[in-house]
Amino acid sequence: MHGAETRAGDYHFEVEGIARVEGEGSLKLRISDGEVREARLSIFEAPRYFERLVVGRTPNEVLDIVTRICGICPIAYQFGAAQAFEDLFGVTVDPQVRALRRLLYAGEWIESHALHVYMLHAPDFLGYDSAISMARDHRALVEQGLALKRTGNEIMRILGGRPIHPVSVRVGGFSRVPRPADLEPLRKPLEAAVTQSLETLKVVAGLDAPVFEREPLYVSLRHDAEYPMLGGRIVSSDGMDAPVQGWRDLFAEQHLEGTNALHARTHDGRVYQLGPAARVTLCADQLHPLAKEALAASGLAGAIRRNPYWSIAARAVELIHAAAEARDIVEAYRPPVRGLEPWTARPGVAAWGTEAPRGLCWHRYEVDERGLVSACQIVPPTSQNQGAIERDLAEFAPSVLDLPHAEATVRLEQLIRSYDPCISCATHFLRLEVERD
Amino acid sequence: MEDPGGRRPVRVLACGAADRGDDAVGLLAVRRLPADPAGLAEIREVGQLEVEALLDVPSRAACLVVDAAAGVSPGEVVILPLTEVARGGAAPFSTHGLPAEQVVALAEVLGGTLPRGSFVGLGIASVGVGSGLSPVVAASLDAFVAAIAGEIRRLADAAAD
Repeated sequence: MHGAETRAGDYHFEVEGIARVEGEGSLKLRISDGEVREARLSIFEAPRYFERLVVGRTPNEVLDIVTRICGICPIAYQFGAAQAFEDLFGVTVDPQVRALRRLLYAGEWIESHALHVYMLHAPDFLGYDSAISMARDHRALVEQGLALKRTGNEIMRILGGRPIHPVSVRVGGFSRVPRPADLEPLRKPLEAAVTQSLETLKVVAGLDAPVFEREPLYVSLRHDAEYPMLGGRIVSSDGMDAPVQGWRDLFAEQHLEGTNALHARTHDGRVYQLGPAARVTLCADQLHPLAKEALAASGLAGAIRRNPYWSIAARAVELIHAAAEARDIVEAYRPPVRGLEPWTARPGVAAWGTEAPRGLCWHRYEVDERGLVSACQIVPPTSQNQGAIERDLAEFAPSVLDLPHAEATVRLEQLIRSYDPCISCATHFLRLEVERD
Repeated sequence: MEDPGGRRPVRVLACGAADRGDDAVGLLAVRRLPADPAGLAEIREVGQLEVEALLDVPSRAACLVVDAAAGVSPGEVVILPLTEVARGGAAPFSTHGLPAEQVVALAEVLGGTLPRGSFVGLGIASVGVGSGLSPVVAASLDAFVAAIAGEIRRLADAAAD
């Protein structure tokens, strides 16, 4: 953070190089008369490029392209696209294919959540500047995080063909489905992952989080029969309810002046928050019994809902859920009758959303008479969360701006990290700039 | 120089994204390695550099991390010992996930020591999606391949001594 008096009575300082967020972006705070007038988080939006790249492509080509949007959440982008096309083309996949998809998605959740909980977020709570310094004193903790992460990666490698940017997901199923023997190597690691994730929640429940409470508008998918991953209805903490295809009926993207990013709002202009805290708040009753029991024992459900710092506990709860469900799927697995359903493209609008680790990721494709994509809209979770992050930063900032620069920087960085913003593809840092008038 | 047990003396971890402009240069470079140095190395294309990949390097093998590099001039080849990468350097030398120096330093803390080895990077100009290599990086690709090949030979020779 660099500070400078710009003219008498004005104050300007900025932070360059926020650590432990995925990718980069910039945050600008403008303060006048002691109040934060504006908090603007600018995030480079990779999907904007991809929305053009997929035009003129076949549905399966789209899957190969959108997986490249994010190295952290490739599965989310593939499953959103695949299910959108399947919905339009009237394809119903084999139940075991669906189970394999949930297994693959669980792998992505485990990898992503373990990375964030252990490597990015836990150092904030334990008073370390990085996972490296934390590892010197808490070696077992970091090793546990790496073990979880490795299990998530292994699921993605076995089912997706490789740990990142998987190649096996197709419209209609998988290009290759595993034999039971192929999943056998996952049994022990997943059994261990259940234990490790239960331990994770116990560890994070013992942490001290900064006091900062608010009541955000939470939005997530909600499914009749399962914790939301692959689909469901779009619901909110204030009673919104729409089919997964109906994102545009509830929300709209807006272009804000001075930024390249599109921000999503409700049609009446409200910001909203997605992600683990939203899902745990709106769908706790659908958690795996082990996760539900652990959440209840932690006593953190209310804190998760009100305090963004406790998102670390929401991720820990979802680690339990993902590990336990993945274990159950592997134990019950039998190969699908048909791993890849045949389909015929038809023109129309294909739309679907899934729950990426960071929240609802929504896709819409227009398909022409040739079966090629003619238009595309992809709404990633972080751009939907931006407004809520900015609102929270504006509310939180006055409490730290009188602190020494270094300390204020750390506190603001910690708040930003609690949302696990995926700002991959931006340059390399979050640049935080504060202006006082 | 190949390990009698069948292991090659150098493990190469090639990082990058194939369709992100100059970010692909590490992957492209290892695919263009001549047979001689390539035969001395087990090459893994890892996308992002992960702690686990470093911890998994066999105890007797050396490790060569290959990646696009930010913080150096476009087209400039940079070669650093892994131990120096772990010390942080002056710039974020990798473009992937956790900064490379943090990944390497974490592997050192957890593994007790780092694999013997180096980082070879090429300064990049543009990482636009689907844009291909920038002219300056494309013009430097042969030099980058040569630097990687040289490091593989050097590390393999050191292993044989």
